[in-house]
Order: sequence, then structure tokens, then C-alpha cells
Amino acid sequence: MLEFREVTRAYELGGERAGVFGVSLAVPKGCLAVLAGPSGSGKTTLLQLAGLLDQPDGGAVLLDGQEVSSLSERERCGLRLSRLGFVFQAFNLVPVLTALENAMLPLQLQGLPEDEARRRAEAALKRVGLSDRLHHRPGQLSGGQQQRAAIARALAPDPLLVLADEPTASLDHAHGGPLMDLMAELAAERGATFLVASHDPAVIARADHVFRLADGRLIEEEHR
Amino acid sequence: MILARLALRNLLRQRRRTALTLMVVVAGFLALSLAGGFMAQTFQGLADGAIRGGLGHLQVMAPGALEGDEAQSLEKALPEGEALAAQLRQDPAVAEVLPRIQFMGLLSSGPKSVAFLGTAVDPALEPKHMACLDALKDGAKARGGGGSRWLSTDPAAREVILGTGLARSLGASVGSLLTLMSTTRDGALNALDVEVVGLQDQGLKELNDRVLTVGLATATQLLDAGPARSRLSVVLKRPGDTAAEQARLQALLPGTTVKPWFELASFYRQVKLLYYAIFGFMGLVLFLVVLLATANTLLMSVMERVREFGVLRAMGLRPGQLLALLQWEGAFLGLFGSALGLAATLLLRAGLNALHLQMPAPPGTSHGYELDIHLVPGVYALVALGLQATLQVSALFPGLKAAKLRIVEALRHV
Repeated sequence: MLEFREVTRAYELGGERAGVFGVSLAVPKGCLAVLAGPSGSGKTTLLQLAGLLDQPDGGAVLLDGQEVSSLSERERCGLRLSRLGFVFQAFNLVPVLTALENAMLPLQLQGLPEDEARRRAEAALKRVGLSDRLHHRPGQLSGGQQQRAAIARALAPDPLLVLADEPTASLDHAHGGPLMDLMAELAAERGATFLVASHDPAVIARADHVFRLADGRLIEEEHR
Repeated sequence: MILARLALRNLLRQRRRTALTLMVVVAGFLALSLAGGFMAQTFQGLADGAIRGGLGHLQVMAPGALEGDEAQSLEKALPEGEALAAQLRQDPAVAEVLPRIQFMGLLSSGPKSVAFLGTAVDPALEPKHMACLDALKDGAKARGGGGSRWLSTDPAAREVILGTGLARSLGASVGSLLTLMSTTRDGALNALDVEVVGLQDQGLKELNDRVLTVGLATATQLLDAGPARSRLSVVLKRPGDTAAEQARLQALLPGTTVKPWFELASFYRQVKLLYYAIFGFMGLVLFLVVLLATANTLLMSVMERVREFGVLRAMGLRPGQLLALLQWEGAFLGLFGSALGLAATLLLRAGLNALHLQMPAPPGTSHGYELDIHLVPGVYALVALGLQATLQVSALFPGLKAAKLRIVEALRHV
């Protein structure tokens, strides 16, 4: 479903060369995969390349068999909107919108009628257990609830791939575990692929596939 | 519409900052629209002064009457002026026609003679359509002006109304007997004894020192004018149709020249140009202030939302849509600012007009006037449009900055 072929993306960080170098890996459909490794190992860089937020210096990124790394800005915007979902460490919900409006946002940006967007967003929020928090703004939600709302926002457009960068890093253990359980359930239930960047052992323990990175290189793959 | 909703919510998020920005827009609207109302009052006053000062809405004259001086009286007159006036009175668009004779000569008190510029008018029609009684009322306050009255409608009466300066230089007052001297149409010298029945104050010293007014019968006898008239002042039933009526009457009267009042009132045109220049410059400065203030606010708002923009871009929002989001914010600021500005303008206008403030006399005139800021919907619309355009321009730079953000850097922004 998602494939990296000899992908290289290098940049300078504090005077040193960082990034990813010649990484090849394949993530199958409908699974929960984790990019694991210490800070600076290249997890986030790979996630950004998979999310079409950045372009590789070399190699190719394939999404559902299509080479996507060389697409134009407009085509990448379109793909992000329709096929990808994002969950961030700091939740990054739009603060002026309610949970429901946040979940409706990508659907409305796709041009869906408001009623249809509302129906699908409500269903996504219900699925993550926030049906009683639809009209709360991010500031009125707990960290765990905000991250669930972010997952609902990512899932509402029915994406192929959901990319999550350290999704439990801002949550305590009591909230992080159930969140990962939810992601695993949704991957199985919806056939969407979840690619998570994390160094949290609790997250890695719940993954179907683990790709361990160090110094920008893939050092180990584990398929369960 | 999601972008519009987002824009509105963003403005409401920073209420204090939005309120301050709105105050700048409101102040700009208020200043420009009040200035527009004041200009309208001034223009209206000048237009009324020109029209009711004797020009009427249209002037009918002989071809070439405006070119060069007359060698002798009525040389460039309408030879059958009275008949032409009678013909024009039948026209459905014409309310009244006021024939006039313009002449010059010497006015003598015996020991002293002074050159004058005279106007002969119909004593019965003139007060109905022109502001001659206002000048008379002001003239009555001058020394020797006590007991001033308008000219008698009796054709046999030989009366004159003098400019206050002219009366002063001759030592004349109401009731004085003077002698008018001028040349007839044939070039012969003629003189006529007249009684001063009033003094007039035209508001301009140069005019007051030279002008006098007599009845048409008096001037006709003095100049041996017969039916000839220098000009016909035409008062229209619908003043708004002046330009159209000028073209129509010109076509109807091929042997004459028909001019609208605004082409003849050079002072009106000069003042109008001056005001346009002054208020145009003031407007530019105000628009610049609004532009810089709102651009600053929107730019600050962009810098505070870098990560949020990164998230929106990651979700698939195109750079152009971010630009549009900022344009919506500018649009709402302009819309609300203009609406509040309009309300403030109407309130302040009502308040200022209720104070009956006396304004100082404009340059070249001797009378002040009461401030009456006009209601000018056209100006309000123009100011609102100008401010809206300014806001859209001011949102452009912050919008471009937001659109150019690199997503990965924006997402890392703290």
C-alpha cells in the first residue's frame, strides 16, 4: 500500500547531516505500522515524505502503487485531502472550531455538502467515543479527547493512509494505551493503514509491523 | 463557505485586536464621509449662490457674447431678447425666464463720479427666483442702508440699488438722488436721474465697490435698448436636467449660445477643484494609515497561526486557499468597519448639525455660514468601497506569507 524505494532526504541540523538515506520498506494495507527509533533517527522525515509534505532527494514513494513523490504541488494537495489523514503529537485541532467542525473541515474542503459532511463527521466522532463532545472546542476537551477528535478528523474523509507523529507523546499512559487500541481497531475495521512514528514501547507493542530506524537508515523490520 | 466561517472565527478569537483594527477602519470611514458631507454642503452652497445669484440654470446669450468686451452698450446682446424670453416661457421644461441687461458707465453724486457695473432686472420676477433680497437684507445693515427695499415694479419708477462699497465711495445712502451716465446702443451719451432705494451686500468687497441694480425699464431708457437684452437667465422646472436641457435648447435656438450655470461659474469650478485636491490628498493619507494598520494586524495574526496554517496545508488546503482565508478576514474587517463607520457617521453628523455651529467666512467672502453636513449616500458607498479595496490589499501580503510557508517548517513552529 505504501512503499519507500531507496528514499533519501538529507538536510543540515545543527551543522550535522540528518534525514533518511536509502530507505526501502513496504507497509501493507489495513495494518498498524510503527516507525520506531530514537530521536533524530528519521521517523518524522519518513512520515513527512509519506504524507507528501516533503519531497525526497532521491528514490521513490509509492502510494497504492502510484509514484507520488514527483507530483505537482496541486496534485499532492489533492491527494492529501482525499487519501491521507494526519494525527499530530500536539493534536493541532483548529482552536476556533468545535470538535464536529474540525472533523467536518477536510470534508468541506473536499467540497462535500454541509449535511453530508456533518453526517460523516458525527459518525467518525461517535466511533472514537466523542458523541457527547461534538460542540466542544479544543480548549474544552482533555488531551485524550482532543487526540480522539484529531483521529476522527483524520478518518472522516475515509483515507487510505493515516499518518500519526508521536500521537501518545502528549498523553499519559492511561490515555495513550486506549488510543493505540482504538487505532488498531480502526485499521482492522476500515482497512485504512495507520503509520505511526513513535519511540514509545507501549505503542510499538501494539503494532502489526515495526520498522526500526537509526541514523536515518532502516536497521530492522518486524512483522507480527 | 468554510473559509469564510474560519476567517470570521479567527477574527472573533482575537477580539481586542480585531476591535482596535475596526476602530482604525471606523475612524477612516468617519473622517472621509464627514469630509464628503461638508464638501457637499460647500458645493451646494456655491451652486445655489451661482444659480440664485443671477445665472439661473441656463443662460441664453448672443453668439460670441463671452468673447472680448463690448465697445458700446448692448453690442453683443440678443436684439429681440424680450420676444425670445416670451418664446422660452412657453417651453414645458422652463419655469421662468429672467431677461437681464448688463451695462457699465459712471454714477455721479454731483461732486464725485464713480465707474459702475450695472445689471438691469425684472423687478417683479427677480425676487421670486433669485437671491437678490438676501443681498438687500445684508446691505440694509451697512451704513446708509437703513430702509432698503427692493425695486418698484412701476415701469415709470427710476430707482437704483447700490453695492455697499459703491454707496460708501459716493457718500450715498437710501434716499439719495444720483445720476446714471452711460452710452446708448448708438454710442450717444445719455444720463438719467435715479433714487437710491437700497444697498446690497454681495459678500465680495470687489463686487460691492462696483455693482448696482436697476429695473429693466430704467436701463432700457438709459441705453435706448428697445427689446434688446444682454442675457436671458432660464430657471428650469427640473434642475437635475440642466445638461440635457442645455443641449435641447441650444438645438432649438440656433442663433444663440446656451450655457449651463456650471460652465459660467468659474469660482464654483475652482473651489471644487481645490476641495477635490485637498480631500483627495487627505483620503490617500487615511487609506494609507488604514492599509498599514490592518496589514500589521493581519500579519501578526499570521505569525501567531503558523502551525495552524501548517496543519491546514497538511490536510490539503492549497496555498491559494490560505490566501483566500486571509482575504476573507480582510473582507470581514472592511465590512464590519464600514458598517460601524456608517453608524458613527450618521450619529456624529446629527450631533454636529444639531449644534448649529457657525463656520468662518470662506476666502473672498464676507459672510460665515452654519455648518450643515449633508447626507451623501454616494460618498458613503465610495468610501466603503475604497476601504474594502484597502483591506483586501492589506490582507494580500500576510496572505502571501502564509501561502509561502513550508509545511514541515510550519508544523515545527512553536
